[in-house]
This record gives sequence, C-alpha cells and structure tokens, in this order.
Amino acid sequence: MLFTSLEFFTFLPLALLVFSALPIRHRWVWLLLASYLFYGLWQPANLFYLGAVTGLVWACGRAMAGEGRGRTAWLTAGLVLVLGSLLALKFYDFAAGEVERLLSAIVGQPAIALPRIGTTAPAGYSFYAFSAASYLVDAYLRRLPDKAGAGHVALYLAFFPKILAGPIERATAFLPQIWNGLRAEPDRVVLALQLIGWGLFKKVVIADNLGPLVDRNFAIAAFAAPMELLISVYFFAFQIYCDFSGYTDIAIGISLLFGLSLLDNFRRPYLSLTTAEFWGQRWHISLAQWFRDYLYIPLGGSRVMAVRRYANVMIVFLVSGLWHAGLGYGVSWGFLVWGALNGLYQWVGLATRGFWQHVSRAMPRVGKTTPIHVLRVLLTFHLIAAAWVFFRAKTVGDAVLILQKIGAHLSELPTLIPYYPFTAEHLLGFGLIGLLLIVEVADERHPVAKRLAAAPVWLRWSIYYLAIFALLILGRWQAREFIYMQF
Amino acid sequence: MRRSALIFVAIGLAIYAGLFYASERLVYATGRSNALFKIATAKEADVDWVILGASHAMPLDFAGFNAFMERETGQSILNLASPGTGPLYNRFVLEHFLDRHRAKNLLYVIDSFAFYSPVWNEERFADAKLLRRTPLDADIAQRLFAYSRQEHVDPRALLDYASGFSKINNRERFEPDIWEGEAQFERVYRPSATATRSRIAYLYPQPPDPAARSRYLEAFKALIVLARQHDIRVVAIKMPVPSQFLDRLPDEAEFDAAMSQLLVSQQVAFYDFARAFDEPRFYFDTDHLNRAGLTELFNRHLKAVLEQNHH
Repeated sequence: MLFTSLEFFTFLPLALLVFSALPIRHRWVWLLLASYLFYGLWQPANLFYLGAVTGLVWACGRAMAGEGRGRTAWLTAGLVLVLGSLLALKFYDFAAGEVERLLSAIVGQPAIALPRIGTTAPAGYSFYAFSAASYLVDAYLRRLPDKAGAGHVALYLAFFPKILAGPIERATAFLPQIWNGLRAEPDRVVLALQLIGWGLFKKVVIADNLGPLVDRNFAIAAFAAPMELLISVYFFAFQIYCDFSGYTDIAIGISLLFGLSLLDNFRRPYLSLTTAEFWGQRWHISLAQWFRDYLYIPLGGSRVMAVRRYANVMIVFLVSGLWHAGLGYGVSWGFLVWGALNGLYQWVGLATRGFWQHVSRAMPRVGKTTPIHVLRVLLTFHLIAAAWVFFRAKTVGDAVLILQKIGAHLSELPTLIPYYPFTAEHLLGFGLIGLLLIVEVADERHPVAKRLAAAPVWLRWSIYYLAIFALLILGRWQAREFIYMQF
Repeated sequence: MRRSALIFVAIGLAIYAGLFYASERLVYATGRSNALFKIATAKEADVDWVILGASHAMPLDFAGFNAFMERETGQSILNLASPGTGPLYNRFVLEHFLDRHRAKNLLYVIDSFAFYSPVWNEERFADAKLLRRTPLDADIAQRLFAYSRQEHVDPRALLDYASGFSKINNRERFEPDIWEGEAQFERVYRPSATATRSRIAYLYPQPPDPAARSRYLEAFKALIVLARQHDIRVVAIKMPVPSQFLDRLPDEAEFDAAMSQLLVSQQVAFYDFARAFDEPRFYFDTDHLNRAGLTELFNRHLKAVLEQNHH
C-alpha cells in the first residue's frame, strides 16, 4: 500500500477513526494492528521478517535487562542476526555472482556455481533492521527503561508511517511517547495536513514528473546527448530529494495525526554550504545520526589520531554506500563508489578546514556575502549531484561515461543552451525545481508553516487550494513507488 | 473551526466541479479514437458495420482509412476497437452502443492475447488512458457498476470515472486523442527479433492459462449472443501479422482450435488472414499493418468480406 494509492487514502481515515474512538491507553494496540495490516498487505511474507526481528530484539532486550557477562553475548548475538540477515539478504546473491564471475575470468570457464538465496530483503528491511540495532545497543547501554513490553517494541519497529522508508527512529524517543499515551492534538492537525500535502506535492508532482526523463537518459547513457545527460543529472538530484523527503514529510504528518512525533529527516539539504553540512545536518538526518552514534563514535570518532579519523570517516561513508545498495536500482558497485566519493569530499573538507578557517579570519566579511554564499551552495550542490550519478547509473562504467560526456562538452554548453530544443517536459521540470527552491529558500529564512499561520485566511486558503489542485492536475498518481522503500 | 473546515471543503468541491466540467469539455474538444467517445458523438443512429477488437483492429480507422472503406463499400462503418482490450471490454462497449444505436453487422477482430489475461479484460476498465477520454454518461457509470459487481471489474474504475479524476489529471489534456500507432501508420518496419520478443512478453503478462481462455471465450460468446439478440450478423477475422511474430505466440494452435470450436458452434463466419502477408513492408511495427498493408488486405480480402457478408 503506497502513501499515494487509493487504498491508503481509504486505510488512513479508517485507521484514524478507530484510533480516536478508542480509549487512550488502548490506542497503541490498534496502531500495532494497523501497522501489521499495512505491512502485510504489501506482501504477507514480509510479516515473517518483521515478526522475527521483533521477537529477537525483544528477547535480547529482556535478556540484557539483567546483570552479568551474558549481556554482551546477547547484544552481539542480536546485532549479528539483525545486521547479518540484512547483509545476507541484500548482498549474498550479488556477491556470489561476482565471485563466480571473478573465478571464471581467472580460470577461463565457469568454475563454480554457488548456491543462491533467491530472495531479496523485504521492503523497508534496511530501515527497521537499523532501528532494531539501535534498540539493542540502547538496551545494552541501559538507555531504555525495562518496562518496554513486546507489544511496544513491536510498534516501535512496525509503526506504519515509517516502516518502509524511515525516519530511523530511536526507541529512546519513540517509546516514551507511547507510554505517555497517544493523543492527536488539534493544533497539530493543521501542521500534519500541511506536511502530508507538501510531501505528496514533492513526490507525485515534482519527483514523479522528473523521473521519466531521468529514467530514459540514464538507460541510454551511451546514446544520449550531453545536454540531456546534464539535465538528467540535475533532475535526478531533485527527483531523489523530493521522492525521499516527500515520503518523510508524509510519514511525519501522518504520525502527528496519531499523536506521535518523528525525527526531522531533511532540512533543505541543497542549501548546504559544505558537503559535511549536507551529510551531517541536512540530508537523511536520522541515518547520519545513526552512523554517528553507532559506528563513527564507537570507532573513535574524531578523538583519535588524524589517520584513524580519516579512516573512520571513510568507513562510515563506505558502509553508508553499502546500506544504500539495492535502492530501486539494483545492487552494484556504484553504491560503494558513491560512498567513497562522498567520503573523499569529507577528506578534502577535513584537510582544508584549517586553510578556510584562516581565510575567514583574514577576511571575515567576504565569506558572509551573498555571492560567496551562493557560490558555496552551488559548489556543494554540484559535488553532491556528481556523486548521485554513481548512485543512479546502472553500472560504474555508465556513470563514468555520463560524467565524461558532460565534462567533454561543458565548454560548449553556454552556446548550446539558447538553441537547445527544450520540450514541455524540460520546462515543467525546471519550473517545478524553481518553485521548490523558492519555497526552500523562504523556509530557510523563516519557516513556511509559521508564515502560513500568520498569513490572512484568503491567502492561506488560496495557497492550500493551489497545492491541492496542482496535485490533482499535475500529479503522476499511477506512477511509481518511493525510491527509498525499495531497499 | 468546524464551520471554517466546512467552508473550506465546500469551496474546494466547487473548484473541483469547475475543473471536472472544464475537463469534460476538453474530452469533447480533443476526442477522437476512444470507442465510447465515438459512440457519444456518432452522427448516425444506425450503421452497417461495427468493428470491435484490440489494437490490430485500430488501423482500420487510422488516417481516413475508415472513410476510404466506407466509400469503397458504400456502407457505414463505426470502428469501436480499443488498444489492449479483450472480449469483456468489447462487450461492454457493444452493450453501450446498443443502448442508443443499431448495427446490422459486427466485424470482430480476434487477438489471441486478449483472451488470456485479466490485464486486457477486468483490469483494463480502470486504465486511466481509457477513462480520461471517456465522456461522462450516467449509463456508462451504471454499466461500470454492474460490471464491477458481476464481472469482477476493478471498482476503482467506477470511482475514477464518476469522480473524473483521470480527466482532471490527464497530462495530455490538450492533445488530440490519437493512439500512438496512428503516427506511425505510413512507416515501414525493420524486423527485430528482440522487439518481437518484448512485444509478446508484454502481451502475455502471465503464461497462457486454459482456464482463463475458457473464461474469456465465454465472454466472447456472450458478446455474440448479445449481437444476435439485436439481429446483428457477426463476422470474425484474424488480422495479418508477420510470421516472426505469429510463430512465437504461445499456445496459438490451442487457441485457434478452441476459438474455431466456438465460432462453429455459434455459426459465426470466420476469416483467418493471420498468414496473409509476411513482408515487413506491410507493417509499421512488430505486428500492426501500415497503410500499404491495410490497403492490400482491404483490396484482396476485406472488401469482399464486408460486401459478401452485408446483412
């Protein structure tokens, strides 16, 4: 059941109706049932994975509630099973194929035939496996009270707005909300509906209108014109942002309707001044924080020698690349290259940090001027967009080819643009991106939700109607799944 | 708060109604190849021939070819074929046609693929591409309701149709309703085994299933019975397709045998032109006749069929 489907628009009001009719102390039970229904309708077999992970995590959590040396063993067993199953489901078949190919290349004929699992990770597994891992670690570190019952843990993992594509919630923030009783505050309903509306707009109007051109050109990288490839690279950067952040906005909005606050996952990422800011503070924040708390800091973080620190950063980005593998575009080496490239950006940032600090001390006003600010945003955006090419292309070879073709014709582009036969599809895409950027810049200066709240009714309503009817007129409702759901 | 919400919804519904109306006007302004649009705008109440079938029957109405056939035979012809539609959808169209019109003869163009999958039958009703070009009509809505109850047609088709969602959401709202094949009608195809394979994979989303075939043959039989009840003579044909395409169709011999049995039992005249032409110059893609091919078919065979079987 997609957030953009008719089934979901039937399911949600019904779920809300039953939810509000129930006494507060029983509401979580209904949310759990609704979440299992939501996930089971997607594919009934998914419930097996979800149930298994829930049972395992709860059992390990209970075992770790006691004292003694066994706690570490329970933590290790839990993490190995949760993360090991994620790795196996995502990569085993791919790795087996690569090993067979490598051996065949060495021997010159098919050398061995390794067995295959023949199945992939169920939708959303990467997300709830990471939530499960964080629960185990938090339970081990006694950050969680012992009162977490099996049902509460099950709801933490299965909560339907977030199960397919996050945010990757922490039990420390999620469970207390359940214990305190779930109440949908009327003043948050408007904010919830705004978030749902804006999320749908980003998904079905922006992302899904940019998608077809991106798909077409990335599929024929060798034949596509450099200009088309360049447009596709730009479009993809916004497609993936609107697709993923659209999902998150909808998830956060729906959760608010059920009285639950989820983590902020995006903060206008393409307005970042550096790639470090992009990854650390603005893009998929819940994942960045997960990596920070459960990988980077345990590795020693930044309180180690420079070489270790650089290695830690690269490890985090390589693991992030692995985590993203399989996302809608199959498993390929491109994700590892994408991770490595982003890691490299961080290395350059770390290595030149001293120099830039020196420059900003020497010229304190220059760095704060609008042109420099815009230049930094543009540079960061282009670095990120170039890395996305490895994420989206079918193979690393395709990605290199796309970047080469664009690079080789960069100098000609200014003369080509005035004569380029831009189609309605191009113009619509650029128009939507322009609109998104206007909203994001306005939101960066002063939150749009607050601006709307302060606006006169006629203006506020006009904006709502415009958004609703843009969804109806321009939205691609029959189009596609959310990209990040397909892990 | 509640009053504001009601006013907000009421204004929203009023805007929606306006949009629905504008979209409906656009359906009439840009309509052309949708079968139900043709019925709504047919100038004559009675026609000599109605043509039904899937995309192989559609070139008969491409780029003035229908008018050419009418001139050559002296008979009025209304082509109500729709791309990718099986006998269930065809029967739906015929039922609606017979509400307000009459026909003397029915030419049914048989496509085996359309008798194997709900994709081309029950699920086809909910296709936005068809719904967005279908004019609003209470009879169609009523019939869709009946089909969703009796024939397991996706109820979303009725919801979409009644709400006008696909029309409001139509991204080709200002473009004329011309099936993509018509733009290629004059071109000559260069054979490609890969294209043929992918086309057949598209036409047969599931492996051919005899049970599904029986179900859709029953739907076809019901269509023939309906025609007979209205005193319409039924003639069935198979259109020419390249042998490269025909020979790859799964279970075609079994389909032919089952279809022949039905047609004989119903005493329906059948003309099999499937192997009539093999030359690529007669096709604009893997399996559709171009103007040269259709002209050849008409002159050699179809004209005689239309004239001999005229009722």
